[in-house]
Amino acid sequence: MVGPGRQERAWIRGAQSGSASDLEALFREHWPRAHRAAFLVVHDAAAAEDIAQEAFLAAVRNLDRFDRKRPFGPWLHRIVVNRAIDWARARTLRRETAEAESADEFDTGDLGNPFSQGVAAGLAGLKPEHRAVIVMRYLLEYTPGEIAHLLDLPRGTVNSRLRRGLDRLEEILDRGRP
Amino acid sequence: MSDDLRRELQKIQAPDELEGQRRAWPLVRAAFEAREPITWPRRSLRPVFAAAAGVAILAGALSPPGRALVGSVHDAITSEKKKGRPALTSLPAPGVLLANSSQGPWLVRFDGSRRLLGPWWDASWSPQAKYAVVTRAHEVAAIDPQDKGRVRWSVARSGSVRGGRWSPDGFRVAYLNGRSLRVVVGDGTDDKSLRRAVGATPPAWRPTADHELAFSTVDGRIELVQSDSAKTLWRTVPGELPTRLVWSEDGQRLLVLGDRSLRALDSNGRRLWSIGLPIGPSGVAFVRRGHRFVMIRFSPATGRSDLVLLQAEKDPGEARFLYSAPGEFRSLAISPNGRWLLVGWENADQWLFLRLTAAKVQAVSNIAQEFGSFPAGVSWCCPASP
Repeated sequence: MVGPGRQERAWIRGAQSGSASDLEALFREHWPRAHRAAFLVVHDAAAAEDIAQEAFLAAVRNLDRFDRKRPFGPWLHRIVVNRAIDWARARTLRRETAEAESADEFDTGDLGNPFSQGVAAGLAGLKPEHRAVIVMRYLLEYTPGEIAHLLDLPRGTVNSRLRRGLDRLEEILDRGRP
Repeated sequence: MSDDLRRELQKIQAPDELEGQRRAWPLVRAAFEAREPITWPRRSLRPVFAAAAGVAILAGALSPPGRALVGSVHDAITSEKKKGRPALTSLPAPGVLLANSSQGPWLVRFDGSRRLLGPWWDASWSPQAKYAVVTRAHEVAAIDPQDKGRVRWSVARSGSVRGGRWSPDGFRVAYLNGRSLRVVVGDGTDDKSLRRAVGATPPAWRPTADHELAFSTVDGRIELVQSDSAKTLWRTVPGELPTRLVWSEDGQRLLVLGDRSLRALDSNGRRLWSIGLPIGPSGVAFVRRGHRFVMIRFSPATGRSDLVLLQAEKDPGEARFLYSAPGEFRSLAISPNGRWLLVGWENADQWLFLRLTAAKVQAVSNIAQEFGSFPAGVSWCCPASP
């Protein structure tokens, strides 16, 4: 994980000293990826928005304790992904499988790219833990070591989840190809 | 595969991403502005919160996630539960409460005295709290709460009866009978079917209007009908089946609360906005004289409930964070003078009275014991005279 850029450090410093415009800059910079990451793990638009929002609220509550030498993104993504995994597991426990989780009816919004739709729908067929590491690796672009650190997992577990998740995803995508 | 996957994932946008950002920012900003000074009296509990969070994290490391979440919520409730009065000895504002528990509806007076009104399944006030309309099994009735719940009239139907609601002028009572919506005159006469194939949501009379009644259809449309002529005034497109319909005091806004979404409609049935809700308890209550309302927002990820203030205008923005606690808030009621908000905090077995105009909260404990079970719904009557 590289350290924060000068601009981000300035935003964090500003937000810590009470500047709402600096907080807004941080929010605008980090919202899209946090929201997308949550969405790709939970596959529920409303829940993803809620998880991203909750993560920012948690970040705001703990802003004073944040070490501004560290990058903001990993701190936020750790909250987002952990909450998204919890949410997805809780939904499974509640047997709320229903239509929203069906790969066929997965709403990818206006993506315009059939492969993107296929990937998003394919992810829906994976376990939440597998989705999470794939999203962290390929959307948020963390290394397996960084993912292990952020999710408090052994590195071997991250690697095996990545491998199994990718295999399963490929299997799903192959099945969907003409 | 890896490069393709990276490329494709980077292209995906979450549905409604920009709208979500627009909705989230006011809440984040409100939380940021509420950081210092803390609005509600939680400052002294901060170290306790930190300890509870530490316990939760430890639990998360040692136990399965589901058990950890339950455990952490329990710990946090124990820590955050407010020291309250052991019993309800008075209400903080004038008015009378109607609290629906599993034993039946209870009348609670300003001095805290209470009385069970009988073995009814649900109840709601007549416009000036002179009577209450109650239902159970196959019966709808009007009872006099001041006279030990004496029945003034009742109507029996073959199908199940529920969701009785008295019109604002007192001359009509609407109720659900199976899949039908029926209306009876306020003295119990002239009982008629108004619509068939309606949803299970209790109907809602539009305030300040002449017998206009909002209800949901089985396909999730919201319809406004003039009950005397049976004429449909407007009807929305199908949507999520709502659980509650709540009008603003001036009848210009209608909130449509579902399990997964909240929609705000204007007086012509046009949608102003819609927001997604997480699974869990939710509730809304309009603040008096305006289009601002308090909403319960439960987060399954943290197991906490927040109270936030939003507005039923074209933009729900300017949201204000009011209060937060672990567990679930079950009911909301605004005092007739508009200054107090009653919140049912079921996990802590407390009613919280939050003063909306100042940083003050009063807690009353042992609610389930007082009412036989924790009341699922509470209404606080009646609107103060202008």
